[in-house]
Amino acid sequence: MKIAVTLRLTPDLTEELELTEDGRDIDREWIGLVLNEFDDQALEQAVLLKEAAGAEVTALAIDGEGVERLLRTALARGADAVRRIPADDAPSSARALTPLYAAAVREIGADLVLAGVLATDDLHGELAPFLAAELGWRQASAVSDVRIEDGDVVVRQEYSGGRAAQLALTLPAVVGLQTASQPPRYVAGSKLRDLLKVEVPEMAVDAAPAATGIEPATLALPDRGAGAEMIEGSADQIAERLHAILVERDMA
Amino acid sequence: MATQTLILLIATLGAVAAAAWRARPWLVPLAHARPANRLDRPWQRLTVVLADIGLHRRLLRIRFSGVMHLMIFTSFLVLFTVIVQAFGAGFFPGFSLEPIGGHTWLAAVQEVFTVVIAAALGMAIWHRFVRRPARFAGSNRRDATTIYALIAAIVVTMLLEWAARIAAGGDPSEPYRPLSAALAGGLGGLGLEGDAAATASSAFYWAHIASILAFLVYIPGSKHRHMFAAAPNIFFRSLAPKGQLPPPPPAGDSDDQPGTVQRFSDFTWKDLLDGLSCTECGRCQAVCPAHGSGAELSPKQLVMDLRDGMTATNERGAAGDSPIAGGTVSTEALWACTTCRACMEVCPLHIEHVPKIVQLRRSLVEEGEIEPMLQDSLTSLQSYGNSFGKSPKQRARWTRGLSFKPKDVRKEAVDVLWFVGDFSSFDPRVQRLTVLVAELLAQAEVDFGILYEGERNSGNDVRRVGDEGLFDLLARHNIAELEGCSFNRILTTDPHSLNALSNEYAALGAHYDVVHHTKFLWELLEAGRLDPVSRSGQIVTYHDPCYLGRYNDEFEAPRRLIRRLGHDLHDMGRCRENSYCCGAGGGRIWMDDSGLAQRPSENRIEEALALEGVTRFVVSCPKDVVMYTAAVQALGVEDRIAVWEIAELLDEALRVPQPGSSAAD
Repeated sequence: MKIAVTLRLTPDLTEELELTEDGRDIDREWIGLVLNEFDDQALEQAVLLKEAAGAEVTALAIDGEGVERLLRTALARGADAVRRIPADDAPSSARALTPLYAAAVREIGADLVLAGVLATDDLHGELAPFLAAELGWRQASAVSDVRIEDGDVVVRQEYSGGRAAQLALTLPAVVGLQTASQPPRYVAGSKLRDLLKVEVPEMAVDAAPAATGIEPATLALPDRGAGAEMIEGSADQIAERLHAILVERDMA
Repeated sequence: MATQTLILLIATLGAVAAAAWRARPWLVPLAHARPANRLDRPWQRLTVVLADIGLHRRLLRIRFSGVMHLMIFTSFLVLFTVIVQAFGAGFFPGFSLEPIGGHTWLAAVQEVFTVVIAAALGMAIWHRFVRRPARFAGSNRRDATTIYALIAAIVVTMLLEWAARIAAGGDPSEPYRPLSAALAGGLGGLGLEGDAAATASSAFYWAHIASILAFLVYIPGSKHRHMFAAAPNIFFRSLAPKGQLPPPPPAGDSDDQPGTVQRFSDFTWKDLLDGLSCTECGRCQAVCPAHGSGAELSPKQLVMDLRDGMTATNERGAAGDSPIAGGTVSTEALWACTTCRACMEVCPLHIEHVPKIVQLRRSLVEEGEIEPMLQDSLTSLQSYGNSFGKSPKQRARWTRGLSFKPKDVRKEAVDVLWFVGDFSSFDPRVQRLTVLVAELLAQAEVDFGILYEGERNSGNDVRRVGDEGLFDLLARHNIAELEGCSFNRILTTDPHSLNALSNEYAALGAHYDVVHHTKFLWELLEAGRLDPVSRSGQIVTYHDPCYLGRYNDEFEAPRRLIRRLGHDLHDMGRCRENSYCCGAGGGRIWMDDSGLAQRPSENRIEEALALEGVTRFVVSCPKDVVMYTAAVQALGVEDRIAVWEIAELLDEALRVPQPGSSAAD
């Protein structure tokens, strides 16, 4: 079996985000990028499936700053192969990128795609369903507890009120993963160091981003509404103010 | 007589063969261990052997046990002449020590030491069975008891042989053996005289021989191996700087030689000899902050478990050997260590506990098995070069609180390069002290600069956590940054960074002159570049940080500074090289400490509170500021004691006292 995992770098939210001058994007000049946490789960799940049932795992990412390092980490985590997909002036929308991922998945000959259910720039989880549509494969999203049973992929999908279903998908399929059955493993620095010089191969695909007809008109930073108080100052001052608020509202 | 010689020969050869058989379970692993070169600087090695064995330097730190051991040790040396006489006469009829005073003064000395060893044996028994110090908990009591019995048997048979010989008459040494003579009188009273006494003397001789051989056979399987292992173990101790960990074992091409310590054959022979030397005295256990706080680790138990695991593995054969970390030694015990080095400092045999723990941690990290909370910090260190998960660009953000902008050493030459460190840069509780130190430097017109976002965590504790690759990445980044800068000295307020920069980076070929701020500020005072104008004259105590004191031998500068500022310094009982770790070292600050019975830092604050009149707890390490401030709050004793960084004391003394307000405000 061949598994493809899609990996995305998303803005690091531990840093302050600023908008570009035209207000249509965040300023990407200075921000840090981190692996989308759900993609992190997908990668772990792929490696767990490989360890349990035997599979060849390929990690895919749209090329860009930090992608080589990201894919080397994926190798250290247990992926068998990695590919970076070149894309000129890559749009950030998951939906627009779908044809590129689909072409790469076909070229690898994967039977199963694991994608993170959502990302900070794909809050509605569009990647997995659009990718499945493009490929014409079965699809389930927001799932956990992924297993391979008799050639099918079996997943658990949770609903409200603690109800859940086991779904069996005939391969090929695309899964939008919520959590892996084990937390992502730690990769020792020595493995990262050993991979520093490893070449991450490029995989040019014969596809172009989809025209979605949707462009951001304006972006907005968080509103400072009437109900919110932004506490500023030194840590001591912030702590003091928090304490005062708790006392004021009888919560201390 | 020939028959007797033959019997003695057979008995002796048999005993030697039995002893060798009993030594086999550890001789085989020793032979298969990895190499370690411990032959450099032989004189330096020998002097410490003489000091620690001949003069009992470390043993005498616990007076009662030290004196007792000294009594047994010297008695063994003196009474060895008796063994020489017994076997000499047995193998070579007519052999005698008479030419060197065997019948005169040597006989008298032997008599005296018979009393000495009897007294020491009494002390040992009383100590182990009546006083029962906590450090013996977990030691093998049956082994100790067996040894007492064997020593008693050797001494009693020896004494009875002498007495019977005197009772038989004509013993030339009689006038020099008052004790034996008195005993002979007693035997005479029982009717043992003449030929009967001669026969009895012969019987006691054989009993004496038998007890010596029994002792010989027993030793290889007992902690009493230390009689033979102690001297080589001290001689072959590591002479590397205390703050420099050994590298992991080199990886071979086959699975038999992994790049980490997974099986006993991955240890060096010296690591294994450490275990074989252990006397289970428990001095390490008594000073261990992890053990003291109720964690699963006891350094003594660890060394014993490694030793027993090694022999058991060998007996089971290669098929039964499972990884040591998580098998022979639990992962909880390995993660509990603060690498404070108190155990190594007190061990009379110079056993190296910490390097073994780090080697085993390395094998866990390599497999991705790490303490749950640690993963977040290490992942941050991989991504950002600090454990706070902050962008490297935010490292110098604390400088916003300064009255000036420090030089960027990457752009201009300076006299002093200040390596700020993670906690001083990012922790809000420490940042204000970082600002204060910077202002002090400016006030003294020190030409200094910082690396801004070029600095990364020094990697000191990353290396101790066991992530060798990450340490390597961090260290090489910093070395490359420093290479591009022009400076004379490196200053740091962080003992952990100091240790990495001066000891660990040296192993990577980078050598710097690194100074801790306690010494640097003292130099500024001495040079008259800072002028204390007020004296608040408090009663204070000072906590020696492990990585400044025990690891890097800086005990005086902070004490001089404190006294110079007019304070009355009262040291805690556990001070200087016996300082008690705050619990943060070795990466513990990134791990979960909620399961401890009592945090080491809280134990330490209680120790300070027990000192009469002490109101300030002076520290000189950013992690100590964090640990002890939290401990004072947890104990709810803010009204009795306050944590002061040493720079704060200096800052206070530099301020002109305002009438009506305290200088500290």
